[in-house]
Amino acid sequence: MHTGDALLKECEALLYAEADCLDRADLDSWMALYTPDGTYWMPAAPDQEDPLNHISHFYDDRVMMEIRRRNFVHPRAPSKDHAVRCSHLIGNIQLAATDTNAGICTVRSNFHAMLFYRDEKRIYGGRYEHRLQHTEAGLRILHKRVDLIDCDAAHKSLVIYL
Amino acid sequence: MIIGTDSGLAGLVEPCRLNRRIYTDPAIFELEMERIWGRAWIFIGHESQVPQPGDYFTTNINHRIPVVMVRDRDGSVRVLHNRCAHKGAKVVDKRCGNARAFRCCYHGWTYATDGTLLKIPNEKGYDGTGMNPKDPQWNLQPVAQYAAYRGFVFATLDPRAPDLVTWLGGAAACFDNLCERAPEGEVEVAGGVLRYDHACNWKLFLENLNDTHHPQTTHQSVVDAAMDYLGTLPPEATKERAEAEMIPPFGGSYENFEKSGITGFRYGHHYDGGKTSIHANYSVNPVYRDAMVAAYGEARTQEILSFNTHNTCYYPSLTIKTAVQNIRVVRPLAVNRCVIETWSFRLKGAPPEMLQRTLLYSRLINSVGSMVGPDDLESYMRIQAGLEGTGSEWVEMYREFGRDRDEGDRTVGTGTSDLDMRTQYRAWRHYMLGEVA
Repeated sequence: MHTGDALLKECEALLYAEADCLDRADLDSWMALYTPDGTYWMPAAPDQEDPLNHISHFYDDRVMMEIRRRNFVHPRAPSKDHAVRCSHLIGNIQLAATDTNAGICTVRSNFHAMLFYRDEKRIYGGRYEHRLQHTEAGLRILHKRVDLIDCDAAHKSLVIYL
Repeated sequence: MIIGTDSGLAGLVEPCRLNRRIYTDPAIFELEMERIWGRAWIFIGHESQVPQPGDYFTTNINHRIPVVMVRDRDGSVRVLHNRCAHKGAKVVDKRCGNARAFRCCYHGWTYATDGTLLKIPNEKGYDGTGMNPKDPQWNLQPVAQYAAYRGFVFATLDPRAPDLVTWLGGAAACFDNLCERAPEGEVEVAGGVLRYDHACNWKLFLENLNDTHHPQTTHQSVVDAAMDYLGTLPPEATKERAEAEMIPPFGGSYENFEKSGITGFRYGHHYDGGKTSIHANYSVNPVYRDAMVAAYGEARTQEILSFNTHNTCYYPSLTIKTAVQNIRVVRPLAVNRCVIETWSFRLKGAPPEMLQRTLLYSRLINSVGSMVGPDDLESYMRIQAGLEGTGSEWVEMYREFGRDRDEGDRTVGTGTSDLDMRTQYRAWRHYMLGEVA
């Protein structure tokens, strides 16, 4: 596992690769960036501590990712009849913690995502926290947390991960 | 067409046909807000949201009228109009919190938690003007009637509305069942709220709840996706996954849904299920079951857990899932927009896994990121768009018409009957036109 700037570069590359998968709405490639025990979490309250004892918008592990990627391309999913197009911008990427022994690091960043869905442009923004695991194939995502700035607002359907 | 007359309104809702304009006409929406939402008991919140004196929770009683539910110093829960008596500002603007007194941000008029005006800054300016600050008209005004049933707080703007228990009628049994599912006999709000922006008329959401003919079509994709993947796993891998119990029943056969039955009451209340529902085959947490048996005994536990409803609708503002312990609250905003809130409940005396299961269900089925709710909403939005069409003025609700059974305080039909629709529109005519409930 790299350290310092080399590690930060590697982390950045993974975050951009992940954003690229979501921009192309390619959930198969997206899922491959996660470890088999990887999880994706979008809390529904600011500073939410827990995905199990408080409601969330998303909390997916591999099983839910597998179901979701199949559902996403199913010809009879009415909400998926409208294609969704995304454009993610990630910035302020910082290494928050590194555990070289375990091969795990935590990366925090800001994101803005523009979505086009059902003839409407939408803006989402907030903070990402990625916990990344060093593997033989390179860095993989162990856990991603998406804190929307308006996580506790009334939201419209969100048919894809942010 | 003029809808200013009640005869014009009456022609819009036939026994088995509904005119499209009840979903699309802003003037009818305004009348519904006045006559249905202004006369029915509207769900405000749960007493557990305001456990301590001074705790408050704010909401709107229809699309406009702001109210605050507050725990007074005397321990009672009150529902007050959230409007300063001075210039009319909303006095409490935060969604929830605790206050020793409510102070208006504009000129500092300050009210006790029972609504009594405590203080007007620089009050001497009113001396000798004929304005008496002790006159109750300068208090935060109580809503015409408010009451709680097993902790669920309702309020109505209509001083002549029947009392809450009369209004709930036989449908109150579902609140009883929800609370009895707690070993301690009480539930409390827990785990936060989901708020889902729906670009559709509020009635379309309610009408879908016990529409047992849509899941096979609308939710085919998530059932297929779940079965396709779960089928690749060894049985022991899916045994622990509650998702494997929650998603597939949405693909249940018409015959299965028929067996569940629909029961309708006065004032538009109804539920689907009873002996069975799409929640009937959930496994029972053994620690929870033991706690239930310790509290109620084996026979009564069996009785409580086998009363298995799908959705109970307390028309027009609340729907509850007794078997899952979550509720959805309807907050209309405009003729083509409403917000649906999902709240989850903890069964007092149950192990933490029970609340976790409730939250999993809320997330899996009711969140904006779920694979079920968005397909429902997509259907409502297409109805909202389609009903602007002028090719026909009508939608229908004939299914099983004439075959529903009258059983005194309730009407009972098969699970795929449009009895739920007809029950709601009987109430619609009651509130809108003054017909018998």
